[in-house]
Amino acid sequence: MNLRKTSSRIFLNIIILLFMLIWVLPTLGLLITSFRPEEAVSNSGWWTVLNNPLKFTQFTLENYKQVLGSAGMDTAFRNSFFIAIMGTLLPVMAAAFAAFSLAKIEFKGRGLAYALIVGLLVVPLQLTFIPILKIFNILGIAGTFPGLWLVHTGYGLPFAVFMLHNFFVSLPDDLFEAAYIDGASMWTVFYRLALPLSIPALASLIIFQFLWVWNDLLVALIYLGGNRSVAPLTVRLSSLVGSYGQDWHLLTAAAFVSMIVPLIIFFSLQRYFVRGILAGSVKG
Amino acid sequence: MKKILALSTGFILLTCLLLSGSVLAQDDGKVSVMGVWGGQELEAFNKMIEPFEVATGIDVQFEGTRDLPTLLTTRLQAGNPPDVVQLTGLGMMKGHAQEGDLVDLTKVFDMDTFKKDYDQKWIDLATYNDGMYGLYISADVKSLVWYNPQAFAENGYKIPTTWDELKALTDKMIANGQTPWSIGLESGAASGWPGTDWIEDILLRTAGPEVYDKWVAHDIPWTDDRIKEAFQIFGNIARDSKQVWGGPITVLSTNFGEAANPLFDNPPKAYLHRQASFITSFIKDNNPDLEAGKDFDFFPFPPIKKELGTPVLGGADMISMMNDNEEARKFMNYLASPGAQTIWIAELGKIGVNNRINPNVYPDSITRKIAGVLSNASVFRFDGSDSMPAAIGSGAFWQGILDYVGGTSLDSVLNNIEQTADETYTTGAATD
Repeated sequence: MNLRKTSSRIFLNIIILLFMLIWVLPTLGLLITSFRPEEAVSNSGWWTVLNNPLKFTQFTLENYKQVLGSAGMDTAFRNSFFIAIMGTLLPVMAAAFAAFSLAKIEFKGRGLAYALIVGLLVVPLQLTFIPILKIFNILGIAGTFPGLWLVHTGYGLPFAVFMLHNFFVSLPDDLFEAAYIDGASMWTVFYRLALPLSIPALASLIIFQFLWVWNDLLVALIYLGGNRSVAPLTVRLSSLVGSYGQDWHLLTAAAFVSMIVPLIIFFSLQRYFVRGILAGSVKG
Repeated sequence: MKKILALSTGFILLTCLLLSGSVLAQDDGKVSVMGVWGGQELEAFNKMIEPFEVATGIDVQFEGTRDLPTLLTTRLQAGNPPDVVQLTGLGMMKGHAQEGDLVDLTKVFDMDTFKKDYDQKWIDLATYNDGMYGLYISADVKSLVWYNPQAFAENGYKIPTTWDELKALTDKMIANGQTPWSIGLESGAASGWPGTDWIEDILLRTAGPEVYDKWVAHDIPWTDDRIKEAFQIFGNIARDSKQVWGGPITVLSTNFGEAANPLFDNPPKAYLHRQASFITSFIKDNNPDLEAGKDFDFFPFPPIKKELGTPVLGGADMISMMNDNEEARKFMNYLASPGAQTIWIAELGKIGVNNRINPNVYPDSITRKIAGVLSNASVFRFDGSDSMPAAIGSGAFWQGILDYVGGTSLDSVLNNIEQTADETYTTGAATD
């Protein structure tokens, strides 16, 4: 009995390992390619290094040197941080207020308001480019960071409200009633009770939103433009490649450079992440 | 949470401070430029504008994106187009000129000097409805066949000067157990374009420039026999595993930038490669040991019908102006000068179009030879797919090439393109 259990577990592990391998393979290829010289990249596939993987002379840091050494990289990093940090905090803060009131405060038209916000999830954002850009031109905030923060807040809100609402709904009403009886104001209940309880949900929302804003190329290109003084990392990296796709070997290194920050964010908030994804899935 | 709030308030303040600083700095004269250049091209562009910025104090702000048509349309609709734009084709130029988005350059340049500096063919190419809407700063010549002179010498092959000689040569190669051609059509989202150059070059040689112009303007349909013939001549090479290295599968999956590599293997996997002049930079990047003129060289794509001669197909970098202001005018005049263009073409190995450019700027004998081919060409035609509406020239035509090489029947390919052409063109005798 015990033997059968162990053998089936080994079998399961082998299958999982196999799937992981298939999953990781493209990224691994990208990683290896990013360390290969340009000439080798264009002449042979990355798997050829497996013939003698310990021959270190076939690897080079030249791609990373070129990517990190190209002009304006520090500005691009700074811009990306400005955009991503505010583009994450603003929608998460706004969504927390909105979701709390929609979940825990009784008022007329609550269901309709919630349905409208969540319904916005299906509106493709490409549809909004021209009208919003027109308004931004009138207000004079096209091509500025605050404009982009507003846009990212708008695009991020429907999902953020949806996710936090489901979490707040799952918190037991008794808890809030008890707090009200003890004389707590609505603000205190939100600030001292709801928010601390929802840290796992907030953390995973921050990860989602940060990844989306950090990796975004299109929205930044439309509202901010590719001008170097404001362009984020994604826009800067995409201009490393020529108009006919020359120098694409640099993109492999560039991909890993831009991956570093999301990876740090992910691993540092990881312990909240798994709990957060389940937020609101099972009612308390 | 208090911490987060304090932190975010701090960030708002900090960024606002930084922003106001940069906004103030930008107030003084600037010109915004939008284009598709990146990498090496962007570096060359930055080198070209450096003297201008130093001399005038005007800040040139370049926005680069490979998705230029989308971004430009959005900006135009929203009412803040760039001052100066690099348009990627004649079709695009005509479209925007028709919409009234472009500034007539005859009012920007001193036309007497301009006409001395530029051949009439470049002025004609930029003219639409009596206005000049584009400035050409450099050109690429496309009608070239690249080969490995050492491999040719070893086998005793001679440079073909007519289509019959070329045919005899490739037959001989096949008889010797070799593969004559190497073709690569893959180019990311633009896959298929190298094939369109083939069709255009062949059509210019089998049907002549008049038919070519009619075809580009959609005065004759895609299902016309002359177009069909051009596709067939291309297909006889690209779809035949004996003629092309690796057969159609390799043709479809090979990146155009790597398609010349088989010529320089030992022994060579292929012997001929038809591609524009810019391929030299790819050849040198991929094989740094090769020497231009000794290890790789070119001959003009040979004429097919004697009476039509050897026409030249080409591409060119075109700059247009969208906002008429003092800074943009100064910048356009600078770009039209031989000084600016010399920096640009010397950096990228392109061919100059300004008559005052000194031939000594060309980096090697090959580039000088190409410049000679261009200036001697009696018939010059702009890349046809660049001149067609984007839905055809950078859409259905590319897809058609891929489908045809992939094995779809020629009639269904041409019918498909013709259908899209009917929907896209607003003029043209063949438009239903």
